[in-house]
Amino acid sequence: MLEVLNLFRSRSARSVLETHRARLYRIAYAWTRSPALADDLVQETLTKALVKSGQLRDPKASEAWLYSILSNCYRDHFRRLRETEDVDAIELLSDSNPEQESSQQQLIDKVRAAMMRLPEGQRQVVSLVDIEGFSYVEVAEILAVPIGTVMSRLCRARASLKEHLLPELRAQTDAGEPKLRRVK
Amino acid sequence: MNEKDFSEEFLSAFVDDQLTAEEKSRAYEQINRDDSLNRRVCELRKVRDLVQLAYRDVPGAPSASGHGRRARMSNLAAGVLLALGVAIGWALHAPGDDNKLEGASLEFVQPDPVQITSSQSAATVPSEPAQPNARRAMEVAKAGTPAKVLIHVNDGEMTHLGQALDEVDNLARYYREASINARIEVVMNGDGLSLVRADVTNFGARIARIQRDYDNVVFEACKNSIDRLRRDKGIVAKLLPGVVVIDSGVAQLMRRQNQGWAYIQV
Repeated sequence: MLEVLNLFRSRSARSVLETHRARLYRIAYAWTRSPALADDLVQETLTKALVKSGQLRDPKASEAWLYSILSNCYRDHFRRLRETEDVDAIELLSDSNPEQESSQQQLIDKVRAAMMRLPEGQRQVVSLVDIEGFSYVEVAEILAVPIGTVMSRLCRARASLKEHLLPELRAQTDAGEPKLRRVK
Repeated sequence: MNEKDFSEEFLSAFVDDQLTAEEKSRAYEQINRDDSLNRRVCELRKVRDLVQLAYRDVPGAPSASGHGRRARMSNLAAGVLLALGVAIGWALHAPGDDNKLEGASLEFVQPDPVQITSSQSAATVPSEPAQPNARRAMEVAKAGTPAKVLIHVNDGEMTHLGQALDEVDNLARYYREASINARIEVVMNGDGLSLVRADVTNFGARIARIQRDYDNVVFEACKNSIDRLRRDKGIVAKLLPGVVVIDSGVAQLMRRQNQGWAYIQV
């Protein structure tokens, strides 16, 4: 009887976790810019989360909790492979594709390249805040850093993105999506 | 306060909606008055929008590439799930299309906010294993994930506005009683702006009470609609205290939905 209950629990936990896969993948891709690595990290995250889901005492924390597992997997990955994996090489591999013809795709590539130029910590913070819309408190919890660090990394990240993307920022005023108007 | 009192950190926090309601409305006043501050805020917003744009569709996302586990899932199951997602989506959107608020839609949305996100991902990414206890799984998700709800008001009729506030009240109270971590944003554009225009609304006191009782509820007015009002009708909208002005209501709706927020139109 207990086994049946456990099975039931783990099946429903698994399907809950699966609903997060696409969003976790997006963040993992923003961090690594490698589809294969992002897929591996997400799979590892979900596997760990499934194993640990029984230990999660406060279910309210689960979304931030998932991203913190992802962050740990990401850190562990680079700790393991620091000497063999070169992020720049990954970037070059995905740099040529027919889609580059479109200007939208060029813009996207430029932004992603600018993101990859950021130090890891800044890239993590800016993607969690901008892409997933986490609050500063949640990001601090996910990355296990003080909230002041979150804010300063975010500011530095945005400053260097702004610097790298200045021409695109100007162009976006004329023809960007979503369209933004001056606030005054 | 003048421009140099605003650090980059403060402006970033303003752009990310991380300030208290009071700080926000004070900052907004300053920013609106000062061109160079205004430009800095705009640039921060644009950087954020570019980042969002760059990762809206990522190569090899789970929806595009068959993953091992999912690849084993039968097409039938995926089809059933897709149909379920579409049905839920239809059920949720039908009341909105009629621009009517019905108790039924509230009942459906309120106790199960995460179901909406789940159904969206089911409709686009048929990646969950189909199983008879999917419903139960969603209930687990309900307990497990902070709820994020967008309420969109674009209709100026006072009865509808009252119903929108009923909805906010009910949701906020429900989440508090259920101890669910939640964020609720009320986005107002077009005629919906009447809800927070101090000179028009009947709900000033009620909104003040909601703001006081629930710090997780934010009222956001669309700057484009405010501008249009001034341009077309010569009315300078005076907003209730604590109402945040956002660049564009529509852009905000897109951003939030992309981040997995549930959407309710009133």
